Amino acid sequence: MLGFVARRLGLMVLTLAGLVVITFLVSNVAPADPAMLAAGPDATPDMVATIRHEYGLDRPLPVQFLRYVAGLAQGRLGRSVVTGHAVTEDLAIFLPATLELVLLGMALAVGFGMPLGMWAAVRRDRAVDHLARVFAVSGMALPEFWIGLLLLLVFSGWLGWLPIGGQLSVADAPPAPITGMVLVDALLRGQFVLFGAALRHAILPAVVISLPALASVVRINRAEMIEVLQSDYITAARAHGVAPARIVSVLALKNAMLPTLAMIGLRFGWMLGSSVLVETVFDWPGIGLYAVNSAASADFKPVMGTTLVIGVLFMLANLLVDIAYGWLDPRVREAGE
Amino acid sequence: MSEATLPAAQAPTFAPRGRTLRRLRFFAWVVGRNPPTLLGLLLVGVFLLLAAIGPLIVPDPHDAYGAMHLAIKLQPPSLAHWFGTDEMGDDILTRVVMATRTSLWVGLTITLIAVVIGIPLGIAAGYFGGAIRTVIMRVTDMFLCVPGLVLALAIVAALGPGILHGVVALAIVWWPGYVRLIEAKALTLRAEPFVDAARTMGASHARILFAHILPNCVSPLVVKASMDMGMAILAAASLGFIGLGAKPPAPEWGAMISTARSYMPDYWWYSVFPGLFIFLTVLGFNLLGDGLRDIFDPRSGRG
Amino acid sequence: MRRRDFLIAGSAAAAGLHTQPADAFVREGKRKILVFSGGQPVPLLDPHVKYDYSTRMMQQSIYDALTKYIDNPASIVPWLAKSWETSADGPTWTFHLVENAKFHNGDPVDAEAVRFSFERGLKLNKGVAWMLKDYLDPAGIKVVDPHTVAFTLKSVFAGFLSFMPWWFIVNPKEVMAHAENGDYGQKYLTDHAAGSGPFKIRRWDPQAVMDLAAVPDYWKGWPEGDAKRPAGIIYQVIREPAPRKSALLRGEVDMVTDMTPQDYDQLGKTPGIKVSSNPGMTPFTLMMNTRHGPTADLNFRKALAWAIDYKAFLQVENGAAKLMDSPFPNAMAGHIAVPDMPHRDLAKARAYLAKTKWPKGGIGIDYVYVAGLEVERQIGLAVLSSLQPLDIKVNIVGMPWPTLVARGTNPETGPAMIAVYVTPVSTDPSVVAAQYTSSAAGSYWGMHHLADPELDKMVEAARVEPDQKQRMAAYAEIQKRIVADQPAIFGMMEDRRWAMRDDVRGFVFCPVRLTGEVDFYPMWVAGK
Repeated sequence: MLGFVARRLGLMVLTLAGLVVITFLVSNVAPADPAMLAAGPDATPDMVATIRHEYGLDRPLPVQFLRYVAGLAQGRLGRSVVTGHAVTEDLAIFLPATLELVLLGMALAVGFGMPLGMWAAVRRDRAVDHLARVFAVSGMALPEFWIGLLLLLVFSGWLGWLPIGGQLSVADAPPAPITGMVLVDALLRGQFVLFGAALRHAILPAVVISLPALASVVRINRAEMIEVLQSDYITAARAHGVAPARIVSVLALKNAMLPTLAMIGLRFGWMLGSSVLVETVFDWPGIGLYAVNSAASADFKPVMGTTLVIGVLFMLANLLVDIAYGWLDPRVREAGE
Repeated sequence: MSEATLPAAQAPTFAPRGRTLRRLRFFAWVVGRNPPTLLGLLLVGVFLLLAAIGPLIVPDPHDAYGAMHLAIKLQPPSLAHWFGTDEMGDDILTRVVMATRTSLWVGLTITLIAVVIGIPLGIAAGYFGGAIRTVIMRVTDMFLCVPGLVLALAIVAALGPGILHGVVALAIVWWPGYVRLIEAKALTLRAEPFVDAARTMGASHARILFAHILPNCVSPLVVKASMDMGMAILAAASLGFIGLGAKPPAPEWGAMISTARSYMPDYWWYSVFPGLFIFLTVLGFNLLGDGLRDIFDPRSGRG
Repeated sequence: MRRRDFLIAGSAAAAGLHTQPADAFVREGKRKILVFSGGQPVPLLDPHVKYDYSTRMMQQSIYDALTKYIDNPASIVPWLAKSWETSADGPTWTFHLVENAKFHNGDPVDAEAVRFSFERGLKLNKGVAWMLKDYLDPAGIKVVDPHTVAFTLKSVFAGFLSFMPWWFIVNPKEVMAHAENGDYGQKYLTDHAAGSGPFKIRRWDPQAVMDLAAVPDYWKGWPEGDAKRPAGIIYQVIREPAPRKSALLRGEVDMVTDMTPQDYDQLGKTPGIKVSSNPGMTPFTLMMNTRHGPTADLNFRKALAWAIDYKAFLQVENGAAKLMDSPFPNAMAGHIAVPDMPHRDLAKARAYLAKTKWPKGGIGIDYVYVAGLEVERQIGLAVLSSLQPLDIKVNIVGMPWPTLVARGTNPETGPAMIAVYVTPVSTDPSVVAAQYTSSAAGSYWGMHHLADPELDKMVEAARVEPDQKQRMAAYAEIQKRIVADQPAIFGMMEDRRWAMRDDVRGFVFCPVRLTGEVDFYPMWVAGK
């Protein structure tokens, strides 16, 4: 088992190195002069020249790459031209909001997807099933930004039940941070009214970001449930007159848990990616919106920083899923691969 | 993924003409039995039709090139303008239909570039194995370690906005998927006895590749490509929504929705219809891809 | 608390310079806080370095000047200076300061502070410096006694008074205490204040939320009375108009600007919201790069000017604007309706185009506007449509204001067309005329880079002309000359509009304030 983990870690390190190379290459292919980008719009030509020398942008590419890697090792990701702060500072502030959204989305996907999938299997080929199958397929095809706008239109514009965006309204002060996630902190601090307000803001973006994952979870659980229903074990149990519902559910759950978790783990990474879209629609102050605003202002370092962070998290999620799968699946555990 | 062979029900007939006909009839039968696939085919068909003849049938073709009619701006759907008008008074139906063409060439270009890069690399990795495989697969993994949209965003941020840069960025994001697919297939086929047999008989690598490996890669490739068309179009629209897509006044679904945001909720039709087109197009390609998978590999256990 | 500041704006952030305990925004005890929202941040607060509408709105709240502009039509009232006189023989202005003015840290506002501030503004040579640098030398400012300052100008200049309200007074002790490497305190004043105004900084996050607390014992007192005065002002940056409108409708902000014409129309009909609409003095022009690119050719500029569909400007604004008939705004002294002002005439446009290097068109130009300003974007589309018959392609590019200014002020990188609102800083025609002289290069109102030596001479002569009738005649000629030079497409004067909740009181429009700029001092929020 340990060998398995070690190999996976090794692979991840290699991929991480590759990510660093890619981000470096991308940032140096920019047609805009990186020194001008770093110096900012109000800079005079001498300031730009100073910056060029300071940042070593007049050195050959391999030297620049080594400096870049050294900087990364020290946790330096550059400075944002728009905010004037170090990118690492900005990311530290915005990341919790994105994580909060993604985790909520994952919870929704699993919490609603599993029962929905199983129910659809039980009512196979009836209306619910068809609906579930259609949903499973369209979940991937739905443009998240469009469905987000539609939901805003209905629930905020026409019905007025939910706010139009943001994580909290101007009138509400956020809880003193413990984790940085407003919902969690509000609960931990016992501020239930605030929690409710924050939830009203979070529910629509969380639903939207969970949709593709929800579709996949429904699909998996439906398939698993169908298999279970058709298995010999269940037929035998029925023959013995044992209450099928409980057994079926538990068995289906056990069987579905593994692929569902694997799917969700992978989906975590994709959800981080779609934060770029969802946060824009809902004005949610996470790293996705940070990256989009920076890209729109031709502020390059934050975009790179965000890409790196998302890449690392993505790889971590994949690693965890791999390890969890390996641990839960005895064949892999024994073989040690 | 198992091999792409016809199910036993279809036995080869004597006359080649008859075989093709039978094959087609079989396809039609499979598709006909499968409503979702039929829907997919229909949607894709409509999409292609609109892309082809759209400019000829739209009511106000100039509205897609920057004509403005400010006197009739932001009008709700009516008989004169089925989808209403936008903030410049342009007919939204016209712009949405004209954008179909943009989406088609975007999706096609991305998928084609990805395929053209992916097939040789995948085959090289799967067939030749060894060091070549390691290098290619490691490089491929590098590109797969960031969610596609984020990497595309970074590349477009570096290159600058514009639909061409978006296509380049998305092609860069897409090709690794094909390498993986083809590599897996080539690897499996490499292990087949008939390949060894062919080698023993003195067939060159090239001949084996072209005559045996490639043809068997076609079906999974077609399935993936058809699903990818939809996803590539969606990704391009997403970039357009963020503001990194086509430049005005060129009509593009994502960019239209982005502008429409400023006019919510009062002028809701502006965001509803372009998004609907994106959804239906992507859905069509997804359903078609699923259906093709059913045809080529009915045992894939989709339940 | 740092987090709260950008939770709503969703835009980039954190300053975290002040660690005060979390307060509710909208209320402080029984007092209300006035929340204002626009799309433009305030990256540089220093009053002697930079100004634009959002920046000066903050500067006017935090700092005081010798005099102040109020009302419509604009008039100058005493502020830090209670009276002034000019010497009979020469160009010397003597200002008598009030006795009770204090900086926020308690230091008195004395003559030395005034002298220091003007010297600083002149020496830094940025921002407001252009207004006085040709007339005033730092050596010409004398402290007569702790409450009297004398300015000896290099020559008689009638417009001197009109610029006084824009020169804010900073606290020399505080500024120099924080000066680094001889920067005159610029780094410090970028996001800190050393002022004496009615508000002081409580929390400063220039890209998202600027939270100002009212100074309860402000030396000039509160016009609405201490009972009604607000607890403070918050300027909240929300870049997109849709969330900004929504915040207003939900009562989370009290007043907004930078909205689309549709928004103002709709908000005007919404119960609980009122829209203040004021014919503006702010020309909206499309400046053209007269130094580089195709627009360097006068005939090309003329071709563009005669091809544009000016009606579209009014349609985009839903009628809340007036077309310009002169480079000067209508309300400006000396304004004339320039004869033969360009209007859409394709035949004439083609004739001009035929004299350029591109007689049949086939060329593309960039139209650059401030990202987020929907009106400017639509005008770009209108320009694109107007120029199609000439086969001139227009590439519409949106960018943030600071980036736009950085590119535009450099003649080599300046785009062919830039959409800009330029509000004159006073009602004297010299300020608008000066925008078209070669001294304007390097500032946002000079992005056309026009260098017409004859025009420079005319403007200079008109500025010092003592006889009023001659002076106005001179300005008439200047207006005609500017139109002949066509450094910009002269568009419209947009009605200046703000939308606010019914319970916002005390708002007074002042035409010399920049586009969205509001004077917060007399304002408060009524109701329980």
